[in-house]
Amino acid sequence: MRQQRSADYAEFASARAGHLYRSACLLTAGDTHLAEDLVQETFGRLYVRWGRVSRAENPAAYAQTVLTRTFLAHRRLRSSRERATDTFPDLPGAGDGDAPLRLTLMAALARLPAKDRAVVVLRYWEDRSVEQTADVLNVSSAAVRTRCVRALGRLRELLGEDLHEFSRP
Amino acid sequence: MPENQHEDPFENRFATALRDTGDGFRAGDPAALVTGGQVRGRRKQLLRRTAVLGGITGVALVGVGGTLLLPSDVHDPRRTSAAAGPASTADPSAASPSPAESFSRDDMLRSLKELMPQGTYSEEEAQGTGSTMPPYARLVFDDGEGAAALGLSVDRMDPGGEQAAQWTTCPDKKIVAYDDCTSATQPDGSRLMLLRGYEYPDRRVDTKWWNAELVTPDGVHVTLSEWNAPAQKDAPVSRPQPPLSAGQLKEVVTADVWKRVAAAMPQSPKPSATGEAPPEGRPSGAIAKTLMGLLPENLKVTGRSGPGGEYAYLVVDDGKGGSLVQINVQAGMSDLAGELFKDAEKLPDGTLVTTQESPGEKAGKDVVMWTADTLRPDGLRVVISAFNTPAQHEDATRDTPALTLAQLREIALSTEWDAGA
Repeated sequence: MRQQRSADYAEFASARAGHLYRSACLLTAGDTHLAEDLVQETFGRLYVRWGRVSRAENPAAYAQTVLTRTFLAHRRLRSSRERATDTFPDLPGAGDGDAPLRLTLMAALARLPAKDRAVVVLRYWEDRSVEQTADVLNVSSAAVRTRCVRALGRLRELLGEDLHEFSRP
Repeated sequence: MPENQHEDPFENRFATALRDTGDGFRAGDPAALVTGGQVRGRRKQLLRRTAVLGGITGVALVGVGGTLLLPSDVHDPRRTSAAAGPASTADPSAASPSPAESFSRDDMLRSLKELMPQGTYSEEEAQGTGSTMPPYARLVFDDGEGAAALGLSVDRMDPGGEQAAQWTTCPDKKIVAYDDCTSATQPDGSRLMLLRGYEYPDRRVDTKWWNAELVTPDGVHVTLSEWNAPAQKDAPVSRPQPPLSAGQLKEVVTADVWKRVAAAMPQSPKPSATGEAPPEGRPSGAIAKTLMGLLPENLKVTGRSGPGGEYAYLVVDDGKGGSLVQINVQAGMSDLAGELFKDAEKLPDGTLVTTQESPGEKAGKDVVMWTADTLRPDGLRVVISAFNTPAQHEDATRDTPALTLAQLREIALSTEWDAGA
């Protein structure tokens, strides 16, 4: 029984590890060490609740929800640093190949409050609807819209309206 | 409009850039993430049991077995400020003879080894004081009689609080079987519990688990556990007893070095002195409770949300069927004044108010949502919506919500919300 549980967990986790790690990298604005930590913590929580996870309609979405909440719980521990700051270092120049793209975007994401960043990642990376995002974050849809508007406004300021060099042809 | 298509060209460009960037991240060792998760999961299962052992519901902190898991509210400054209350006579973060000192991972291991009897060490793991997570050290110790897992962690807590009392009080034998437990106040005022028990409460494997818990008058909490096996679970018993006697456990946890470690831990952020509520600063369930107190008397509450930070919902019934009412109470939202309250009514005290009747946000047929949105001059936003259905994604079950726009407005403007901020 226990062996089967472990095997099922391992199969699921192996299939999802890459994607969850990428999500975690975006949530942490490129802090890959923290991202690894968050993914392990997420898997730990999933392991404990494996019975429920395996019966969930969409275990992958469930895992993403746990990751997001784990991230926000982590950020709450460091809430004094959570607020966006104007003293962040200058953004790297855009358009010099892939590395600057990543750095520029990550630096811009890092300037968003954690919850706004979570909204952005869920909406634009996970393609979740406003309502789904609201469910993950346990807030109202109105709050998600508000945060999204605010976050995009800030990103527009930081990245420039054009973002031209980042878009695919 | 499909969710992943956006009207705003910037939104589209950003989404593309985000996906490209996200796709560029590659986990160095995905298998390690999976295994690491499994290890943490098993330890969480232990934590749950330990929570029962300590008499603590829902929260527990054990620094053994490699990765220390911190219940999110132990270090939450808001939780601390609410929970500590007037009973808190000492500031746990003030237990600092030398705040500039820091302890690395190696320092933690060395400090533990210096307190141990002669022997060899393996499988060493530790975390220093540079992290937001509490410091710990764990290792497998062998004094020649057999390898034994041993772990120590340091944390801070309110020394006068309920949690401190629970950690240092012997559990009821009816709940947890153990051979021996003592709990006593030390000459310096610290509380110390020494327990000799078993890894598995049902004794299906005879792994012994011995544990010392110390809470000093300054709020330093030291936890030490040891086993008579090289791992706390899933390893054969290697010796009749764990290596350190009760007296030796006491010697290790009461060593001064752990007070210095606690002093070197990052300070918990203090609650804002300006009175501005931090996001999610309200106690769990407070919003739903306040909302219930503000409802008209003819409404019966038939459902409610679980504990949430800044959001709550209720299902109310005025005799014509269930009506969902959801509310958000968010601090620090002044920057929205321009976007959401452009045409708002401005009250004499500067509060902005809008009311709106709109279609429901989810799939339910004929669902309407009535909303009152308010923004105080201090940035506190209270937005409340009521629906003509008990669940947004279900079809309308009644003509209108159970609350009128005027009632919603009155609830949103209640001074009760300011009191909670």
